Amino acid sequence: MNVTFFIQVLINGIAIGSVYALMAVGYSLVYSIMSFSNFAHGGVIMLGAYIGYYSGALFGLPIWAAILAAMLGCGLIAITIERAAYNPLRKRNAPPLYYIISAMGTSILLENLIVATIGPNFKTYPPLFTERSIEIGKIAIGKLDLLMLVISAVSLFLLVFLIDKTKIGMAIRATAYNLRASSLMGVNPDTVIFIVFGLGGAMAGVAGVLFGMRYVVYPQIGIITNKAFVGAVFGGLGSLPGAIIGSVLLGIIEVMASAYWSSNLQNLIAFVLLIFVLIVRPSGIMGVSTEDKA
Amino acid sequence: MSQLELKNVTKKFGGLTAVGNVDLSVRKGSIHGLIGPNGAGKTTIFNLITHIYEPTEGEIFFEGKPIHQLPTHLISRAGITRTFQNIRLFKDLTTYENILTACHFNAQYNYLDAIARTKRYRVGEEVLRNNCELLIDILKLNDQRDILAKNLPYGYQRRLEIARAVALLPKMLLLDEPAAGMNPDETIQLLEIIKQIQNQFDLTVLIIEHHMDLIMNLCDRIMVLNFGRVLAEGTPQEIQNHPHVVEAYLGEGGH
Amino acid sequence: MNLSWYYISGILIFAGINLMAVQGLSLLTGFTGLFSFGHAGFMSIGAYTAAIVTSWLGAPFYVSLLSAGLFAGLISLIIGRLTLKLKGDYFVIATLGFGESVRLLFAFLESIGGARGFTIATSAHHTSLFDVVLVNAIGLIVMVNLIHSKHGRNLKAIREEELASRVIGIDVFKYKMSSFFISAFYAGVAGGLFAHYLLFIQPAMFQLIKSTELTIMVIFGGLGSITGSVIGAILLTALPEMLRFLNVWRFVIYGILVILIMILRPKGLMGGQELRLISWTRRLISKRKGGQA
Repeated sequence: MNVTFFIQVLINGIAIGSVYALMAVGYSLVYSIMSFSNFAHGGVIMLGAYIGYYSGALFGLPIWAAILAAMLGCGLIAITIERAAYNPLRKRNAPPLYYIISAMGTSILLENLIVATIGPNFKTYPPLFTERSIEIGKIAIGKLDLLMLVISAVSLFLLVFLIDKTKIGMAIRATAYNLRASSLMGVNPDTVIFIVFGLGGAMAGVAGVLFGMRYVVYPQIGIITNKAFVGAVFGGLGSLPGAIIGSVLLGIIEVMASAYWSSNLQNLIAFVLLIFVLIVRPSGIMGVSTEDKA
Repeated sequence: MSQLELKNVTKKFGGLTAVGNVDLSVRKGSIHGLIGPNGAGKTTIFNLITHIYEPTEGEIFFEGKPIHQLPTHLISRAGITRTFQNIRLFKDLTTYENILTACHFNAQYNYLDAIARTKRYRVGEEVLRNNCELLIDILKLNDQRDILAKNLPYGYQRRLEIARAVALLPKMLLLDEPAAGMNPDETIQLLEIIKQIQNQFDLTVLIIEHHMDLIMNLCDRIMVLNFGRVLAEGTPQEIQNHPHVVEAYLGEGGH
Repeated sequence: MNLSWYYISGILIFAGINLMAVQGLSLLTGFTGLFSFGHAGFMSIGAYTAAIVTSWLGAPFYVSLLSAGLFAGLISLIIGRLTLKLKGDYFVIATLGFGESVRLLFAFLESIGGARGFTIATSAHHTSLFDVVLVNAIGLIVMVNLIHSKHGRNLKAIREEELASRVIGIDVFKYKMSSFFISAFYAGVAGGLFAHYLLFIQPAMFQLIKSTELTIMVIFGGLGSITGSVIGAILLTALPEMLRFLNVWRFVIYGILVILIMILRPKGLMGGQELRLISWTRRLISKRKGGQA
């Protein structure tokens, strides 16, 4: 086996996995507070990719500004979605599956809104910097891969820091532990949900720009982001470190399978893995299982 | 002879012992009380008997056969069923439908019979409907028959849970705080109903209850639990005079 | 005239195909309380089975439909065995994973056309409106009879209260398996009808969105009501057609409609709202109650 090739593939996998992680944390944060899978998240990521595209192509913003714009835009969009599509359900204690359908409706809405306004065509990011590879010894690493890796790592680090070390983070964790009890303790669940959607949206914005830079932008990107959801399940739905580890693992497995086996398998593997994980350990790598109470 | 036998049954949740080394023997045809403060492990014992929880240790026998490894639905098939402390009715079904559903044991027809509306289906449904009518009469639920379970007054919800359990024609009925939330009138009515069905259906009853009047009136034998362990066991007389019980339970919160 | 009838019958055939799948899903979701985002997977299994049985083995139309249902059912037994014990959301997620896996697997299998799709010989039977009506009529009779039996009642009990169902002696797992099997069978037959209507199928026709659409039809019609499902399937198939003048905007409206249904659908909704849409939905719900009595 060619070691250099292996390492290149591995780094490539980690880079893609880290972008999945940026997406997956959004699923996990929402799940930890509201116990449902927010399938509108893919739509938010897609919008992030478009915001990044227009920031670069139309306004000629540098990459960091494009990312910031996408973070801000997606944060606001995610919060708006929560207000419009989930908040009314929360008011009447609807079961989680109503949230899921509402989320899917939102994702249909977002996707087709883009088709109707911008159009169904592919858009390619303008070259935001010269795409070359950096060579370390014999190993050539794509600059884009490196950039994805660094930006994802920094964003995720900031997120984890925020959740683990700040007062807001503590409120979020308390709410994740028990929505009702936390409101008794003086934490306002509305505020927490607001923040969680904002944070998830911001991460989705970063992910959208990185994703759009690496591939192309089109209205159905959201479907691909379902794989980030697989990453979140893989790590244990609702667990932040789980989502990150699960996504990175998924990225590596995918890229390995496509490099050493067949590139057609790349997508299939994610979903087969999903079913496998659910059967063997539904609570994922970091999740906790609970016993029924009578 | 004893119909239900718990031998050295223990249930641990993590490091916490909810029920520890409990031996219990319930005689056929008797009414057996289970009392103790909140968190003493009473409901856990019901959950162990009906295999909603798996015992950590110990064995449970029903009519001489081990049942602690049977899944819940086969335990009810063997003849044990129960009600729940926090009522678990089929909320969006009517009183009638709740009972009719529970009667399902009493007719044997398969999917094909149902699809083709065979004679077996028609006869079976007839039997089920008759059973259901009978139970509605006995439990005096006639005026409530077409009301959705979730819209019934609390007392009737508890009564419906008993009706639904009796619909299985069980040999043993486990009642988990059937009088909880009832006023004195309703409690007296309930007492009569329990006695009546016990007689009519030849039932053994195991009952958890906090109303001491009801327990002392109804039970042949009583077991007292505290912190998951057996504190005392005996006739209502013996229990009332048992020094440990008076100290741990009746002394401070008895009704 | 001729053209417009052709157009209308086309819509009706599509409505009937959806209805067949929705009938099954209604049993699973409306009566058993299990949600699935993988029924497009069962439809695609049925579609490919019917296409292959017809093209390679020369089986007659109705035999191909039956094998489509049976094969989809068989797969459902395997998937159900593995995933029906999962709690809450995890079963739904597993069905989603299943649906996507099946689609990607068909795209991967070059021997049946891969992502490009599979063409059935044009000499094969072409699904007619009559076929669709007949199959749905049989499906409905079977479904209604099943629901009005102790087996149907046991399914409803599971939907209402799983633990209490076990305590009254219902083998919850077995009943969930049956419900899953029957729903997959119906979806498989629907897939067979679909394959024979277009005479061309490809994996991209069975995306997650298709599964979602079927579930939305069930919910739109009202959970626990077969008449509701019939109305839901027909209306929601026809709706995008009726909105055709809006072009792509019709899917935007569809999305908004889905959210509105989720928000406004509950039975507890009382007074205050004047949107025509709401009274319309509400009338549907009351119709559903009437149909059930």
